[in-house]
Amino acid sequence: MGRFLGSRGARKFMRNRLAMASLGVIGVYFLTAIFVFVGGISMDATKQRVLPKHVPGFLESSSLDQRVEAASHYLNEVDLACRLAERRDEDPYGILVEKHLAERIPARLTPDEYNDLLDEAFGILEEELDGVDDLNHRPELEPRVQRLEQIAETLYPVPAGWDGFKYKLRTFLGSDAAGQSISVRAVYSIKVAFQIGLVTSIISVLIGSLLGAAAAFFGGWVDHVITWIFSTLSSIPYLVLLSVLIVVFFGTIFDNPDRPFLSLVPVYVAFCSTFWIGPCRVIRGETMKIKELEYVQAATAIGFGRMYLLIRHIIPNTAHLMFINFSLLFIGAIKSEVILSFLGLGVKGQPSWGIMIRDAKDEVASYFFWQIGAATFLMFVLVLAFNIFTDALQDAFDPKHVD
Amino acid sequence: MWSFILRRLLYNIPVYLGIILLVMALLRVRNPVYAYLGKNADEKQVEQFEKSFGLQDPFIVQYGHFLWNGARLDFGESWKYKGTTVREKLLTSIPPSLSITVPALILTTMISITVGLISAFYRGRWIDRLLVIAAVLGMSISFLVYIIFGQFVGAFLPKQAGWALQPFEISGYKPWYTMASTDIFGVTVPYPSHISPGTWVAFCLLPVLISVIVSMGYDTRFYRAVMVEECNRDYIITAKAKGATKNKIMFVHMLKNAMIPIITRIMTTLPFLITGSILLEIFFGIPGMGRTLITAITDMDYPMIQGFTAVIALLYILSIILTDVLYALVDPRVRLS
Repeated sequence: MGRFLGSRGARKFMRNRLAMASLGVIGVYFLTAIFVFVGGISMDATKQRVLPKHVPGFLESSSLDQRVEAASHYLNEVDLACRLAERRDEDPYGILVEKHLAERIPARLTPDEYNDLLDEAFGILEEELDGVDDLNHRPELEPRVQRLEQIAETLYPVPAGWDGFKYKLRTFLGSDAAGQSISVRAVYSIKVAFQIGLVTSIISVLIGSLLGAAAAFFGGWVDHVITWIFSTLSSIPYLVLLSVLIVVFFGTIFDNPDRPFLSLVPVYVAFCSTFWIGPCRVIRGETMKIKELEYVQAATAIGFGRMYLLIRHIIPNTAHLMFINFSLLFIGAIKSEVILSFLGLGVKGQPSWGIMIRDAKDEVASYFFWQIGAATFLMFVLVLAFNIFTDALQDAFDPKHVD
Repeated sequence: MWSFILRRLLYNIPVYLGIILLVMALLRVRNPVYAYLGKNADEKQVEQFEKSFGLQDPFIVQYGHFLWNGARLDFGESWKYKGTTVREKLLTSIPPSLSITVPALILTTMISITVGLISAFYRGRWIDRLLVIAAVLGMSISFLVYIIFGQFVGAFLPKQAGWALQPFEISGYKPWYTMASTDIFGVTVPYPSHISPGTWVAFCLLPVLISVIVSMGYDTRFYRAVMVEECNRDYIITAKAKGATKNKIMFVHMLKNAMIPIITRIMTTLPFLITGSILLEIFFGIPGMGRTLITAITDMDYPMIQGFTAVIALLYILSIILTDVLYALVDPRVRLS
């Protein structure tokens, strides 16, 4: 490792400021992924209802229409609970506590206080705001809407302190069609992206470089068989092969949204069986060149075995290509995951950027961009960082690469 | 030369057989009949179904059967669309794919070669940097996002805002030509007639534009790299020493020599013209090859999947052989190795 870090390529890479910055970005993402993985954000948190549906994020001020709709959501919750409580002859708070929206817990009031507030609120809703079609163009009604929001706030107080901060984090990007927090889902997806990216690119690079090096080094029938396998696989359109490989798993235990970890297995299998082709080609070509070099011949002359030569002298000298390919495959895995999840063949049972984009497809038509925006932005930054990182790697280690 | 072509052909036969083998085997990992009739199909039904499609034969017999029928372009009947043969499906879904991919390929290639040349011409200057940065940024956005926003800006916004110009439709695809056929020496030859460019613009131009924008990032970078590499060759230095102007070097000497990698790249994308862009076809409801194949896969329509992949893979392999042959024509060293 020390030898690697001291090499000319590594020093060249470290002098590249943009590359180091992108490495930093990747590091931040990776730490976030670890944080999610160890339980920082649980799967339940991504499915929890935290807001009324389609609440816009922090930058966009809601129109009066949306504000009334959001306030009525809270009022209706309390109203339902009160009626149920009356029928069962219970304390409405007991029922309401169950309906907390994450950290936002209903206020503890007596049944009469609840009813008074509700009466006032529904009074405003029914008498003053009902039947007003052009609410957004009637600013004189704003005080009434504010009063409505005040009541909602009294019934469902926004928490203060640490809880309040957590609640802010949950809500600052708004909510999707099911009232789930967009920010939580988008951040959780980082873990899914890294999980798929790391597993598939590590396995694919390992398989690819072993097979590639073996094919070139041993030649003969080994080479023929390996080239035959990868020519065959690469002659089927990539998305089609992925879909067929995943459809094979339909109806098995791997096709179960309730077990999200198992349901990723088809994705791993499909990606690994197509992704190894890239590194295999490249490393096969490189090994062809390396095995003719003097130091390999010298090692042969000394009398080292062929296996030893391959593992000790040839594969380590293709390490830079492995790094470059790893990074390329990582980008490929993230992008393909998004497309497969969109087609309904990828991630199941947990949020991912692809699933968020799929859900957001129809929201765009009603000018709601928060979900697609969050997923796209997080993915864009990560893929961009990886693209810059890969370029810098190629710059530093691949003499053929054009700057 | 002929021996080279023959060698390439012979070499690719096992590859093609391998593709068919792989696809057929993958499709039979789970019983295709249950996948199609549902888990609760009763045994009689299943048996009848299996018999009628020859699924009870040993795998090797089915394989041979498929190859023999495939050689005569007979891939059987679709399970989903009763009464339609796979061949008919193939023939009807190729033109919609082509009407998007061909214009897209031409536009993309022309624009990105130009941009690549400009970038290489001003290498290291601000305009080059700007183009390189734009390409990397463009590459980092998901294809899906391009499509969603493309549809939003191109079709949804004009409709919602009631603009006078609403050029694009995003659903309800209609073909922009009608097929007619004529007899030439007793052979029926179909050809498109009644071409209406307006319909093409309405249904196909927006996907074409999106596809051009998506591939610009990758292609510009590739062509720039090709040009920059050519810049460092000895013949450029010679031309400079002879006193040729920079413009002449760029557009006469360099472009000519850069044609080899350019042609290779175009050739390798040729089979994907037929395959079409699966995502674009899904989003725009275009009944092309890509969408038909993906729906066949999710519907478990086995004869369709087998037939389509067989044809696509064949086209792919043929185009690779063609590329090799072109290469060998240009560079005799390839032929002899």
